[in-house]
Amino acid sequence: MKKFSQLALPYIIWAVLMLVLPMLLIALYSFTNQGNTIISFSFTLEHYGKFFTDKDFLLVLSRSLMIAVKTTLLCLMIGYPAAYVISRTGEKIQNFLILMITVPTWINMLVRTYAWIGLLSEGGLVQKICLWLGLGEVEFLYTEGAVLLGMVYNFVPFMILQIHSALCKMDGSLLEAAADLGANEVEAFKQVTLPLSLPGVINGITLVFLPAVSSFFIPKLLGGGQFFLIGNLIENQFITAGEWNFGSAISMIMAVIMMLLMMLVKKAESRNQAQEEEK
Amino acid sequence: MEKKKLIEFRNIVKNFDGQFVLKGVNLDIYENEFVTLLGPSGCGKTTLLRILGGFLEADEGHVVFDGQEISKIPPYERELNTVFQKYALFPHLSVFENIAFGLKIKKMSKDVIEQKVMKMLKLIGLEGYENKNVTTLSGGQQQRVAIARALVNEPKVLLLDEPLAALDLKLRKEMQYELKRIQQEVGITFIFVTHDQEEALTMSDKIVVMRSGEIQQVGTPEEIYNEPANRYVAGFIGESNIIPAVMVEDYKVRFDDITFDCVDFGFKENESVDVVIRPEDIDIVSKEQGKITGEVLSVLFKGVHYEIMVETVPGTTVSVNMHVIRNTDVTSADGKEKISANDFYVDIEDVDTLDDKEIIALSNAQAWNPATDEYTSVARIEHQLEPQVGTYPVAFFTAGGTKIEKRIFVVNQPFVKNEKANEAVMAFNFFITVDEIRESHALDTDLKTWANAQGWKLSDENTSVELFVDYDFEAGEIKEGVYKVTFSTTGRELKIHTTDAAKEGEEVGLTFFAEDIHVMSKVVFEE
Repeated sequence: MKKFSQLALPYIIWAVLMLVLPMLLIALYSFTNQGNTIISFSFTLEHYGKFFTDKDFLLVLSRSLMIAVKTTLLCLMIGYPAAYVISRTGEKIQNFLILMITVPTWINMLVRTYAWIGLLSEGGLVQKICLWLGLGEVEFLYTEGAVLLGMVYNFVPFMILQIHSALCKMDGSLLEAAADLGANEVEAFKQVTLPLSLPGVINGITLVFLPAVSSFFIPKLLGGGQFFLIGNLIENQFITAGEWNFGSAISMIMAVIMMLLMMLVKKAESRNQAQEEEK
Repeated sequence: MEKKKLIEFRNIVKNFDGQFVLKGVNLDIYENEFVTLLGPSGCGKTTLLRILGGFLEADEGHVVFDGQEISKIPPYERELNTVFQKYALFPHLSVFENIAFGLKIKKMSKDVIEQKVMKMLKLIGLEGYENKNVTTLSGGQQQRVAIARALVNEPKVLLLDEPLAALDLKLRKEMQYELKRIQQEVGITFIFVTHDQEEALTMSDKIVVMRSGEIQQVGTPEEIYNEPANRYVAGFIGESNIIPAVMVEDYKVRFDDITFDCVDFGFKENESVDVVIRPEDIDIVSKEQGKITGEVLSVLFKGVHYEIMVETVPGTTVSVNMHVIRNTDVTSADGKEKISANDFYVDIEDVDTLDDKEIIALSNAQAWNPATDEYTSVARIEHQLEPQVGTYPVAFFTAGGTKIEKRIFVVNQPFVKNEKANEAVMAFNFFITVDEIRESHALDTDLKTWANAQGWKLSDENTSVELFVDYDFEAGEIKEGVYKVTFSTTGRELKIHTTDAAKEGEEVGLTFFAEDIHVMSKVVFEE
């Protein structure tokens, strides 16, 4: 055993260099002023103060959280039925459908998002269809709807795959048992399928919410300048404004918020389980 | 006591992908019965149970439950419950919630549910386990929870699909008594599926023996054991000696050339039948006192009794000469290839059907690379065989053209007939090299191939009879010369369970009463 654990050493070093160190640097940046040298630091909470006292920044934050929540809810609403239907098809069709869901993720997300610009832009396919349907000239690009569409489009496969794998793990004889005990299809779903697929739902929510809240190129491309999210703010601070310290502080704030949210989810999950056991 | 008919299966047919799993099953099941569907896997017993449970739909036929046709009723509306093979307990629910599942669906009030579940926990002996997670329970406990979960709904019938299969032997025995007790206590019909004949005999009021989608016999355990309907049932339930026989007249049956008194009647004169004699019904006596005599082949101590095999009719035997000769392999000019083969004998009648594959097998022709010891193929065979007695040259070639020449002796080989045992055996003298014998990995099988030994039924040439090989040389130390190899069939061997020991090789007499002979009509099973 000892020898095996030694084999992990290179990876530990790698992880420290590549993951821990940059994060520590960001933390350090967020608490210091610009113009530090390696030997002299001046610590400050100024950046954090700046963020929490500015209405605009807080607005961006709440907007980011809101759009992430909306994205997650939409992904759940589309993903659960999709995963459920897929899990009930035959093996061959099931494998094919899962492949169909996975295939788009083989292509770079940025490229696929660019493609949406073409579809949504003025004179694009979507507008033409709307015209043909008699809905009039509808502006899609550079609206919240477009951003939401981009996010759901990009992240819904993660939701489907997570829920699908949870549904597939479920023993089919459990549904027979439920039917045997007098449960019709709806009741069997409520009492057996849904509770047993919850771990997959929670994994799916995590996998969708986290990238959605910090996404920056989807709002940039599909929201234009109008739809400014926290990811764009951070990008701006680093690249345009050159305010690395302030950017770092926002990143730290986001990291803490996400950590808290994840802890909340985990707690809800374990409380749910504890309640089941208590009953 | 007049029992009410509860379930009627009427001509149930089911096929999966063109294969008939149930071929028109008719069966009545009564109230308060412990019925066992017994048969090997694939006999259709589980399919029948699933049709009753509503998880499968029959292709043809009717299922009548309590006077009502239920074929179109979904499982959740049927008044029966199932204990599944792997229990199918809900992993996200506690013991209490699992048992309460059906009652909650029926929207019973909380206190009623609590009362009923607690009563069930008492019945299955798991009081105090209500808040446990079902995944932490042992197999036996999960089993009990599954039974309670079904019984709490007070079904008229409980279906059990091989529920004991996953338990170890000791627990299985325990649960057998437990299930019987529960059935008697709640007083409902249990339909139990198993492939374990002992389980069936222990628990059932009624056993349904199934085979290939058909019911072979329905009866009490005593009826099934003592009066099996046919060879199949006799063989499946308990141990038995099954002997083909002829019914000479009522109360007289003849087998192995002896006519015995029996208690069976109603067969046609000289009708072919099967006779079953249970091993425990045969007694070993002195040679003079026996109804039949035989030689003790083996004695096994089984604890309570000895299991003794006695051969009452010797098998059919044929002996041949094995000529062990020098190696005669041929090496190619470049030394890169070797080929070997032997002379061999073949029956005049078999010449027409002899193909290259058989010639290779009989001559044991082989080609190989001496440097790597890897086998290469014998590419071509040349011969001019005719269906006439005589000696014919044969040549074997490798792909590289290396050649060995041998002879085939076409003979008119007599075979040994044994009318009494309805058997014939035949074998040929053969030539083989020292190395070939030493290198053989399965000498008995190889000897049968080289000697082309065959055994068959006189009544049907296409039914082969298994042969046993006997010889008295040491394969590892064999030298050139002529050796005797004997091929023989098993004769009539009877299995006897007795508390008295016997010696192997001893000549003994066997006796049994007329009522121990059970005559069954012969059935032909299509596979």
